[in-house]
Amino acid sequence: MSSPISAWSHASQERVQTILDSYPEPRSAIMPLLYIASLEHDRVSPEAMRQVAELTGVTPAQVASVASFYTMFKRDGVGEYLVSVCTSISCFLRGADDVLEVVEDATGARRGETSSDGTFTVEHVECIGSCGGAPAVQVNYELIEGVSTDNGRKLVAWLKDTKPQVVLADEMQQLFGGSRSFDWGGPEPEGAIAPVPAFGPYGSSGEGR
Amino acid sequence: MADADQVTITINGIDHVVAAGQLLITAAENIGEIIPRFCHHDKLEPVAKCRMCLVEVEGPRGKALVPSCTMPVSNGMVVDTKSAVVTKAHEGVLEFLLINHPLDCPICDKGGECPLQDQAYAHGPGESRFVEEKRTYLKPLPVSDLVLLDRERCVLCDRCVRVADDIAGDPLLVFTERGNAVQIQTFPDEPFASYFSGNTVQLCPVGALTSVDYRFKARPWDLHHVTSVSLVDTVQSTVDVQTSRGKIVRVYGVENDAVNEGWLSDKDRFVFPAIHADTRVVQPLVRNGERFDKATWGEALEIVASRLGSCKGAEVAAIGGAHNTNEDAFALGKFMRSVIGSAHIDAQIGDGLDARLAAAVTSRARLGDLDAASTILVWGPDLKEVLPVLYLRVRKATRNGATLVVVSPVATGLDSVADHVVRYRAGTGSELLRKLGAGDGDLVGARSALREGPVVALVGRTSLAEDPNLAESIAAFALSLPEAKILPLLERGNVFGALDMGLAPGLLPGRVSVDSQEGVDAIEDAWGPLPDHEGLDAMSILADLVEGDMSALVMVGSDPVSDCPDPQLARAAIEAADFVVAIDAFITDSSVLADVILPAAVWGEVDGTVTNLEGRVQRIRPSLLPAGQSRALHGLLDDIASQMGADLGTSDLAMISKEIASVAPSYAGITIDYLTFAGDPDGVVVPIEDAQQPLVYTPVDRPVPVVTGEFTLHLAASLYDAGVWLSNAAALGDLARSAYVRLHPSDAARRAITPGETIVVSGSHQLPVALDDTVSRGTLVVPHNLEETKGFVATPTVTVDTVRGEE
Ligand code: SF4
Ligand code: FES
Ligand code: FES
Repeated sequence: MSSPISAWSHASQERVQTILDSYPEPRSAIMPLLYIASLEHDRVSPEAMRQVAELTGVTPAQVASVASFYTMFKRDGVGEYLVSVCTSISCFLRGADDVLEVVEDATGARRGETSSDGTFTVEHVECIGSCGGAPAVQVNYELIEGVSTDNGRKLVAWLKDTKPQVVLADEMQQLFGGSRSFDWGGPEPEGAIAPVPAFGPYGSSGEGR
Repeated sequence: MADADQVTITINGIDHVVAAGQLLITAAENIGEIIPRFCHHDKLEPVAKCRMCLVEVEGPRGKALVPSCTMPVSNGMVVDTKSAVVTKAHEGVLEFLLINHPLDCPICDKGGECPLQDQAYAHGPGESRFVEEKRTYLKPLPVSDLVLLDRERCVLCDRCVRVADDIAGDPLLVFTERGNAVQIQTFPDEPFASYFSGNTVQLCPVGALTSVDYRFKARPWDLHHVTSVSLVDTVQSTVDVQTSRGKIVRVYGVENDAVNEGWLSDKDRFVFPAIHADTRVVQPLVRNGERFDKATWGEALEIVASRLGSCKGAEVAAIGGAHNTNEDAFALGKFMRSVIGSAHIDAQIGDGLDARLAAAVTSRARLGDLDAASTILVWGPDLKEVLPVLYLRVRKATRNGATLVVVSPVATGLDSVADHVVRYRAGTGSELLRKLGAGDGDLVGARSALREGPVVALVGRTSLAEDPNLAESIAAFALSLPEAKILPLLERGNVFGALDMGLAPGLLPGRVSVDSQEGVDAIEDAWGPLPDHEGLDAMSILADLVEGDMSALVMVGSDPVSDCPDPQLARAAIEAADFVVAIDAFITDSSVLADVILPAAVWGEVDGTVTNLEGRVQRIRPSLLPAGQSRALHGLLDDIASQMGADLGTSDLAMISKEIASVAPSYAGITIDYLTFAGDPDGVVVPIEDAQQPLVYTPVDRPVPVVTGEFTLHLAASLYDAGVWLSNAAALGDLARSAYVRLHPSDAARRAITPGETIVVSGSHQLPVALDDTVSRGTLVVPHNLEETKGFVATPTVTVDTVRGEE
C-alpha cells in the first residue's frame, strides 16, 4: 500500500511518523497532523483532510468535523498576511469594531475574506487573551496590543509597503501598538513560538512555508 | 431498601423503589413520570446535548438543575420534575431551540408526530421573545440517495451521528462548524451511504432528516399502522407498516428487544414500493407460444390441475416457499405430499445448508444469547451484506465486551470490530478448520478466545461456491467449544419457517425427520399415506428435470435461474420440463420460462405467522388487500386440489393454524390465536428443550475435500443485488454496485493483470478487475447476482483469461 502522503516533503513525512508514534490512539493525532497537512497544501483542503483520515484510520467526515470546529485550521487558505482583530467583549468595549472596519478598508478584504491580490486575509476572532491590552490584533498570529484605528491603518500600509518576510510581535508592537497588558519580557529567542508543539519547526512566522 | 440492586428515590414528593444503575430519566419514565427530551434515546449512549431533560435534584448544596439523562439514580435521591425552576428551564430551552427552528410544521413530514412540536406544546413558553429573522440554509441537502437533510430544522441532538457511528459503524454523518453555524454534514463526495441510514430518519426528533420515499407523501394522523415483521431476511425484524389511501407509504422499526431492538436495514425499510410496482403480475398468465396471455383464475387453475394431475406423483417437484408464511408453506407441503403424492420439495435452492442442520441443530442459539456470549464465532456469509440487523447485534455484543472471531476468505463488515480475523483461501476451509481446532501457528489467539465460554457460533456458507458440508463440520467443531450454541445462517425471508413446515426432502412439519416412523405415522393419520419414494433436494430436482426423470415443476416465489449455484442447469431444467407453474408476483428470470404464472399475494398482503433464524414465531399481518387478482398461496392450492378432486383443507387460515399446532409437534400450541391474544408480543420461540423437538440434530464432521487450482471462487453476496424486489423498489433500485472481480495484487502481478482491465472468468463472463489485498491469495471474488454476473455458475474453481489478445 502506498502511503497517502508520499508526495509530502521528507521532513513532513518524518514529523507525521513521530507524531503518530507518540499517541496510543492514532485518531488522537488528527489535530497535529492537520497542521502539517495544511502546510503541505497551503490550507486544510479536502484532499488534506482525506490524507489525515487515512493516516489516523477515521473517515474524512470525522476529520472535517474537527477541522471545521477550530478556526485556526484554514480550509479556504489565507493570504500572505492574516490579520486577526479581536472583537470579544474587552476589545469591543475599546473600539475593536472600528479597528476591524479600518483594517477591512485598508486591505480591501472583508472579514472572513482574502484580498483579491492574495496579500491579506482579515478575520475577527474571539478573545486572544490580551484583554488588558485591548483592542488586540494579530498578524500571522504575532500579537500587537492597544491598536488604535489610526495605527490599524498604518499597520496595513506598512505591511503593503515593506512586505516583511517575517513579522515579529515586538517590532509591530513598537511601531503600531499602544498600552499593553503587561510587559512580556525580552524578545523571544528564536522568533515565534509555535501555537502547539506539533507545529514545531514550522513556525507561524514564515519558516518552513 | 429492599435489596442491593434497588434504590429508593423520591420524585415529586412520592417515594419509589426502582432498579439501581439506571438513568434518572428512565427510572422516572418507568413510573409514569415522563421527562421531556430530545437527545436521549435508550439505545444510544447519553450525551446530554439538548438540556431539555433538566430536573431539580437535591444535593449537599441545595437543589440544582441536572440533566436527568446522564444522572444515575442513587438511594435517597430527591427529585423535582415540575417545580417552578424546572418549568422555567424547560421553557427557556424550548425558547432557545425555537429561535432558529422554522415553523413550517404544516409542510414538514414530522408535523403531527414531532417531539419538538409536542414538547413545545407541553413544556414551551407559548410565546417567543425573538422576533429576528430565522437562519436559513440551502435545502434539502441530500446526505445520501435515500435521506434528505433540512439543516434549519435540526436541533443538534446528535442522535443521527450516534446511530451512524456507534450503532451502524458508518461515521459518515458528523457535526461541522461551531457555535451558531454548527450543522450536520457529510464529507464532499462521501454520502451517508450506510445500510442503516433510514434509522436516522426514524430517530430524528424533528423533521431535519426525511426519507426520499416518504417526503410529502402523507400526514401522520392519516396513517394506518399495522405491526408486522419484515420478510427481507431471516432476522425478521419487527416493523410498523404504515399505509395511507391503500398504499404502504412508510415502514418503521419496532423496538422488539428480542429481535431488532428497533433497528432496520434500509432494505427492510425501503423495499416496500416493489409491492406497488406496475411490473407486478396481478392476473393469471398462460403461455401462448413466445408470450403470455391473460387468463381467468378458472382457466388457469384448470390447466394447472389437469397438467399436474396427469403426472405421476414422483414426476412433480416443488421448489420454493421460503418467502411465504408458515401457513402457506404448510399448505404447500401438504399439497405436494398428500395431493400430488411427491416428496420432492425444497424451500432452499442449493444455496443453503443441510435442512436438518438449519432446522434442528442443538443447542441452537437465540439472538439474545449474543448479549451474554463471552466469545462469538462468525464463519459464514458477510453479515453486513446478508443479515444486516444481525450484524448490528454482533456489533453491539462486541461493544459490550464479547470477543469476536471472524473467519472468511475475504474481508467482511465485521472485521473492524473483530478481535481475531482469520482469512483462508476459498475452497480450503476444511484445512483451516483443522488448523483452528489445533490452534496452530498464528491461530493461537483465535483458538484461545474460543476456549472462553459461553460461545455463540454463527455458522453458514461463506459463499455459494463453498461446499455446504463445510458448515456442518464447522458446526460440529463449534459444539465442542465451552457452553456452545449455534445460530445457523440462512438468508431468505421465512426459510426457517418453511423448513419447520417440512419444505425439505428429509423433513416433515414440526422438525420431524422422514426417517422417524413415529413422525410418519402421526402425519399419515392426518393426511393419509405419504409418498413412498425418497425426496430429492432442489439441485437433484433440476438435474432430474434435465434428464427427463421428472416432468413438472412448481416454483413458489423462487427464482432458481438467479439464485441457485448453477443458473445454467436451472434454465435447462425449466426449459426441459413438460409443465412449469410459477406462483409468483413478478416476472423473474425463472418465471418468464413457465407455462402458467399464478399471481401471488406478497408481504404486506399476507396474514399468518413466520419463524426467524432463532426459531422465533411472530405474527405477520396484512396492511393491504392482495393487488389485482393476486391470491394467498394456501387458498389457491386448496382450489387446485379441489379441481383435482382432493380436499386439501387449507382454504381457511385458522384451520391451517390449528392443523399445524396438532400435526407439527414443535409448534404445538403456537397458533395464530395464541400469538395474537396470549403470547408474548415479541413472539414465541419454538421450544427446543428435551422432547419438545422430535429431531435433535447433532452435526458431524464431514469430509470436505480441499479445492486446488489456480483460482478458487468466492461468490460475494451484497445487500443491494439485482434481485427482483430491489429492482422494483424505487429508491433502492439504483444502489446495486458495479461488478468488479477482485483478486490479490500478487495474483494479478503473476498473470500481468492490471486494475480496471477486463478479464474473462470461467469462459463465460467478461468483468472488470479490481485489486484488493484483503482477498486471500489464489481466491477470485466475483459478486453474486448483479446484472453483469447473471448466469454465473458457482464452481469451486474458476479460470481466468485476459481479452488482450494472445501475446
Ligand atoms: S438531524 Fe435530526 S437527529 Fe441529527 S442532530 Fe439534527 S435533530 Fe438530531
Ligand atoms: S477580549 Fe480581546 S483579547 Fe480578550
Ligand atoms: S435529553 Fe438530557 S440533555 Fe438531551
